[in-house]
This record gives sequence, structure tokens and C-alpha cells, in this order.
Amino acid sequence: MPMELLHELKVAHRQDMRARQDFVSALRGYMLNDMAAGMKQRYESAVAPALSTRLGGRQPTQDDVHDAMKGDLFFKFYSSVRYNAQEMVWRSVIPGIEAALPEMQARAAAVQDRAGGTLHLDPTLEPPENVTAVDVHLMPGVYAAPETPSAGAIYDNGLAVFSAGFMGRELDDIGMSMANYVLKRFPDFAPADILDCGCTVGHNTLAWARVYPQARVSGIDVSSSVLRYAHARAGSLGITAHFRQMDATELDYPDASFDVVFSSMFLHELSVRDIKGFFAEAHRVLRPGGLLINMELPPNQALDPYDQFYLDWDCYYNAEPYYRAFRDQDYTRLAQAGGFVPENYLQFTVPQYTYMSDDDFTEAVQRPATIDGQTGRLSATLQWFGFGAWKR
Amino acid sequence: MTMLPLEAAGRRPAFFGEEGIDQLLSMVLELAAELWVVRERVFVVEAVLEQQGIAVSTAVEAFVPTVEQQATLASMRSEMTSQMFRSLNREHRPIS
Repeated sequence: MPMELLHELKVAHRQDMRARQDFVSALRGYMLNDMAAGMKQRYESAVAPALSTRLGGRQPTQDDVHDAMKGDLFFKFYSSVRYNAQEMVWRSVIPGIEAALPEMQARAAAVQDRAGGTLHLDPTLEPPENVTAVDVHLMPGVYAAPETPSAGAIYDNGLAVFSAGFMGRELDDIGMSMANYVLKRFPDFAPADILDCGCTVGHNTLAWARVYPQARVSGIDVSSSVLRYAHARAGSLGITAHFRQMDATELDYPDASFDVVFSSMFLHELSVRDIKGFFAEAHRVLRPGGLLINMELPPNQALDPYDQFYLDWDCYYNAEPYYRAFRDQDYTRLAQAGGFVPENYLQFTVPQYTYMSDDDFTEAVQRPATIDGQTGRLSATLQWFGFGAWKR
Repeated sequence: MTMLPLEAAGRRPAFFGEEGIDQLLSMVLELAAELWVVRERVFVVEAVLEQQGIAVSTAVEAFVPTVEQQATLASMRSEMTSQMFRSLNREHRPIS
């Protein structure tokens, strides 16, 4: 079942569209769990042995696995279902959003200032190519088009269907898990200023405000449309956050402005050059003792070739052109390129905060990172991956 | 009709070598979605009727069609079956 949105920008989708959304969510759940497990079995029992013979015993690379799987009927059905389900996610929410748009805008205007948060747009900002040249993860329409008021609503409603129940009550499990990781793992660290980069509709930004209620929480994105939505959404949920339209590779903040610079599911939308640019900016705006922390997919070097291939499916078939180039990087080196010292690098895996007790989570964060085929991958046994560095 | 785009830019990938299979699978999945929408609707209609005090589920289970109704259902089924396999019927019509 898709998560029902809990704020006042929620669209009253028609009953048949809600049923359709439920179906698409269920289809994704089946594909991500059952079909994915079946495909792995298929690889191990049939594809891998044949591949091994063909390679004369040489270890296959991710590309070898991908090439071999392309000929497998199970992979074809899996991919076809996954691709179609992705298209159906957006198609199941867009008509309802279109019908509700005028009313939604009126509601947004009524609630946006309720929690004291602010919104600053920059009409001179030229949206970068990574969000204008591609319809990222097949979301129709230009994410950063200034005149499209719908991108935030499409993203939020689409995510509710897409997440198939894996992303928390307010679609904020990533933010809740990351912020709580920092809180539980570093109890003496008390950030006063927190910045979320590439924040989209602010679902994970607000998690930081929940976990650190004393902190001033800010979010930036290149899309004015998602930021307008984020601002009103935060107002409706009664959480104070400050949103600004800005490019993460050119932060318009003075040096040493923040104690935490956070991003989630963001780096894989950037070129490697821009990731390095962002990290350099993060280093600049962090105060000494501050923390850069990114939730992301794990690096390919930590996974076996099959799991590399499985996670990079999005790069090949889901309009995520930068995905693999990022995952092929050594993340320590990326942080180093931004000015962070390797000794201050950290990486970790965490279970989902939303779906366990606070005590169990507190215990779990003390354990070292265990990266495997379930890390960062939407499924019933999901663990999030995070990495970053302290500025010391 | 909606004005917002429903299609993402770019070419759709082809997973199956044989022409038409990818589109066919999209059709099957759309059909499945539509079938679910109808099934849920029937469920909701029954639930609403129950709320109104009409014990429709029990009545449906206990329902015995008349001879005429049975004939109608049989003809509907046969129509649906031939509709479903129309592409095969055309090429491989059994010799009678």
C-alpha cells in the first residue's frame, strides 16, 4: 500500500486512482522482493555457471553479469515489470494532481507560514543539466522547470506509491535513520545549524528538525517548484525549516555556517566533478568539528559483481545516467577531494528507524558497517548506507 | 485529458528481442492494473451495500441463477474466451 500523505497538500485522488496506486505499489513490492529473489537464484543456478565456463574461470565483472543476464528470460520479465511499474507510478498520480492543482496552491498559501519557516527563491539560478536534460527516474516533465508548480506534488505523491511502504510514515525514514544514527552514535555532538542539500520536497530535511529540535534546519535544491512545495509541506506539518534555491556546488553561505551538511539519494544524481565540487563547498561551509553525512547507495567496490549489477539497474534502465559512475568511485577519495582528511572519514549501515524500537536502533548503530546485497536496496530486509567525514 | 506530460522523455528500452513483446507486457500490466481497479470497486460496492443494511455478500454466495441466467452466463463466458484467444483462433482454427 502506498503511504497516505499526512499533510494538507495531500491530493484527494479518485477511488479508482487510489486502487491503481495500491496495485502499482503491490506490483513493485512483489518485483523488489519475490522477483528479485527469483532472479538471483536464476543467476546462481544457471547464468553464473555458464558465465564462469565462458570466462575460463576468470571472476566476472558487473558488465559480464549484465551481458549474461540480458539473455535470460527471467531478467527480461523482471526488468520489464520494473520499468513499467516505474512509469505506472507517475501515471497513477499525475491526473489527480492536475485536477487538484489550483486548490492545492490555495492550501499551500494558507499553510506555508504556519511554522515560521522561510523560502527564498533565486530566479537567476540556471538549473543544471543533470535535472534539465533527463527526466530523472522517468518522472515526466522537467524537475527544475521554474514555471511548473507540479513537480513537488508529483515527486511527493509518486514517492508514496514508489516506496511501497518501505520509506516511513512521512516518507522520511532515510532522514530519521540518518539523523538518529548521528544522535545515538555521537551523543555529545549537538549541531546548531543543519543543511540538507538536494532536499527535494524536504521529507528528509524535516527529520533533522524532529531529531534535533534545537537546531536551525535548512534545505536547498535547484528546483523552485519542489521548494515551494517543501515550504508549504513543512508549514502544514508544523515544522520549522528554511528553504533556499541554490546549487550545492556553489553554496551561497559564508564559511563555517553549519555543523551538519547532509544529503540523501543526491550524489548519484550528480557528475563526479559536481560531487567533488559539492564536497569542497560542504567542507567550506562546515564549522570545525562539523560533519558531512550522505545517505547513498553503497560503493561498487564493496559488493560482489551480481549485487553491483543489481543496484546499477537504475543507471541502465531508469534514467539515472550518473548513478554508476558515482558508485564506481572510492567514496573516501571523493571526500578527500573535497578537503576532508581520510582519518576523519566514516561509513556505516543502519536499519530503518521507523520500523524498530528506539532501543534496538541505539544498539544497532554501535555495530560496524556490514555492506551486502541488501544494503541500500528497497526490500523487506533493507539497511541504509551512509558515509561522510568530520571536519577537524 | 491531462495537460501535464505523462511520458518521460527518452527512448523506452527493449528487454525482449522479439518485436512487440515489450509493448505486449505493458498492455498486460495495464490490464492487470485495470482488473485490480474493477475488483477493488466491486469489493467497495459490496461493502457500501452492507453498510446500508443489504447483506449482499451472503446473498451473492447464496445466489442460484435461473436457467435463463445460466444460459446468459455461458454465452458471456464463451464470448470472452473466444475474444481472449482471437489471435490464435485466426491462425490456428481447429478443423471441424
